[in-house]
Amino acid sequence: MNFLKISCLCLMLVGLFGSAAIAARIEISAPGEQTIPLAITSLLPMGVGATYPAVAAEFQQVLQDDLELSGLFDLVDPGAFLSDAGRLGLRRNEIDFYQWRMLGAEALIKGGYSVTAGKLTIDLRLFDVITQRLLTGRRYSGRLKDVRKIAHTFADQILKSLTGEKGPFSTKIAYISKRTGHKELYLMDVDGHNPIRMTNQRSIVLNPDFSPNRKELIYTSYKKGNPDLYRKEIYTGRESRLSLRPGLNIGGRYSPDGREIALTLSKDKNSEIYLLGTDGTIHRRLTNHYSIDVDPSWSPKGNKIAFVSDRRGNPNVFIVDIYSLEVTRLTFEGKYNATPAWSPRGGRIAYSRLDDGIFNIFTIREDGTDERQLTFGLGNKEHPRWSPDGRFLVYSNDLGGKGKSIWIMRADGTGAKRISARGSDDSHPAWSHRW
Amino acid sequence: MEPSRKQRWQQLQSAFEPGFRQMLLVSLLLHLLLPILSYIPFLSQQAIEKPPVYRVNLVNKIVKNPQAGRPEAVPAKKKSVAKSKPKRKSKPKPAVKPKPLPPKPKPKKVKPKPAAKKKPVKKKPQPKPAVSKTQENNLQKRLEQMRAKQQKKASEQARKDRIAALKAAALAESSKVRSPISAAPVGMADGSGNEAGVSAIAFVQEFIQQQWSLSKYQVIGSPEAEVKLVYNAEGTLLHYKFLKKSGNAIFDESLTRAIAKSKQLPQVLPESMSFEIVFNLKDMLGKP
Repeated sequence: MNFLKISCLCLMLVGLFGSAAIAARIEISAPGEQTIPLAITSLLPMGVGATYPAVAAEFQQVLQDDLELSGLFDLVDPGAFLSDAGRLGLRRNEIDFYQWRMLGAEALIKGGYSVTAGKLTIDLRLFDVITQRLLTGRRYSGRLKDVRKIAHTFADQILKSLTGEKGPFSTKIAYISKRTGHKELYLMDVDGHNPIRMTNQRSIVLNPDFSPNRKELIYTSYKKGNPDLYRKEIYTGRESRLSLRPGLNIGGRYSPDGREIALTLSKDKNSEIYLLGTDGTIHRRLTNHYSIDVDPSWSPKGNKIAFVSDRRGNPNVFIVDIYSLEVTRLTFEGKYNATPAWSPRGGRIAYSRLDDGIFNIFTIREDGTDERQLTFGLGNKEHPRWSPDGRFLVYSNDLGGKGKSIWIMRADGTGAKRISARGSDDSHPAWSHRW
Repeated sequence: MEPSRKQRWQQLQSAFEPGFRQMLLVSLLLHLLLPILSYIPFLSQQAIEKPPVYRVNLVNKIVKNPQAGRPEAVPAKKKSVAKSKPKRKSKPKPAVKPKPLPPKPKPKKVKPKPAAKKKPVKKKPQPKPAVSKTQENNLQKRLEQMRAKQQKKASEQARKDRIAALKAAALAESSKVRSPISAAPVGMADGSGNEAGVSAIAFVQEFIQQQWSLSKYQVIGSPEAEVKLVYNAEGTLLHYKFLKKSGNAIFDESLTRAIAKSKQLPQVLPESMSFEIVFNLKDMLGKP
């Protein structure tokens, strides 16, 4: 009886108070906001001691440039910042998140610095404004001149926190520059700062490439008259010749595991693609055709190589399987397709194509579909190379005959900007791996 | 011998627990009470006056008549309603002609006459001592008041006529507007009659989409997640639940942020609503 009473009562209650909620099914197929509104506050001095506003300003500029290049963020105008921006609160409970939310920010970077006896310490935090959580926090120590490096490293960390993969901002770019009158090898930061000359051969240096697991570079040099392949240790400066066969020894590219080098040799009077050991010995010949085969580029798995060949008439990009030696054609359009570069993420291959007398950068899927033109306008854009995370491309641009310089852009062709100085005739960039 | 119907009923009653009949009666009464309660004005939902709702949706453009959509489609659907309106508006049309203020001069003619005539008339009543001067003054005051009233009425009428004429002209103008595509679909897919704005579902969809921020550079591949959100009629999120996670932590985290930002809708809903929302990146522009 009790059960009956209770069930009747429940029915009545449901009838009286329970209003059936309408259920609707919706699909949202794109976010309304495709960038993350980010607020970067100025570094504030921590503790008592001398203040270095120039250090704080430089740090903020470098960090801002890196994050803008990433394309992930929409930076909140610092002019609109409220009182919380002027407070050094690096803990969750010390931050007025309501202020930042009012400004529309979803992510917030706060930080402080101190300098004691020439030693710089920077404390940095990235907060999620909506959930009021600390996403990442780091403390960096170094010398005052390391401020740029610290900013690049924290930018990498921010990308890791928000995308799951580190950024490439603390890596290096090698390139060939003619600023001394000779084509020499240089090294610079990803934003073009701190250029360092690596060679002084007073000759012609070409086609640099980084070793994936050692701090060394390979490149072709005419130092001894013949285009030979050289290897150079970055920190010691030690240099040795890897391949000095008669004819061309050009376009050397390390395999993803760093155990082999793909190289174009013309020792048999015709340029072909070979695999060399890191000691310079030939492991294997990959192509065997009367046409010209040059510019090898490894797939991230290390089982295929993209290269340029004119075996079907005009130079086009082909792919050779290094085990079966089966060759497939990748590009069919354009009069001249050159310098392929396989994305380290896999999936796409970048190359430059000559159309209407101008080279532009294109990308295409490994299966030859979905070809996209990334660059437009005046100037020859050549020698594309991927960043180690596959997010960006670096290339050379002659701006219509005004002298070559190094440019950088996102993998979809947006955000292109010049990073090397004009007038120094810079070309053949190569992006380092992380170290 | 078989038991009679009365005996069987008594047997059945003995099988029930004591008080079952009373409980049954109470239950029946309460069930009868439900429809009565629902019709009592202070309990019925219809009595609640909802504030006007203005929603902006640039994709599904607001139309006055979401069901009708194109201006020329309105009379076709609701002829009975639409006809009555233009009839009322057509009446003022003839009133447009008297608009050149002919009514004004008419009363003017009437007004000065009695005023002018009365002065000479004043001499006539002199032989009649029954009408005193104070009475005369009162009369004059009254006349003046009447005159003022008439003037007011006339000017008001003229203003009304003018407004009516303008309205009629605007209506005539709008009826001339034709959709460039005669075969264009009429109204919104989820339109439900004479309402200004989009439907509540479309509004919630757009609002949550606006709160969702994710960069194409953050996610690789085509993640998809399904979330159930329950809102009460005040537009407050009661609870949410991931029906299906995408497997991509960054993507799912972005959805959690969007939901946190959508805790309170800026508009009330017609009633409590639950939404099963599928989030994906099918329409993300330029996704490599």
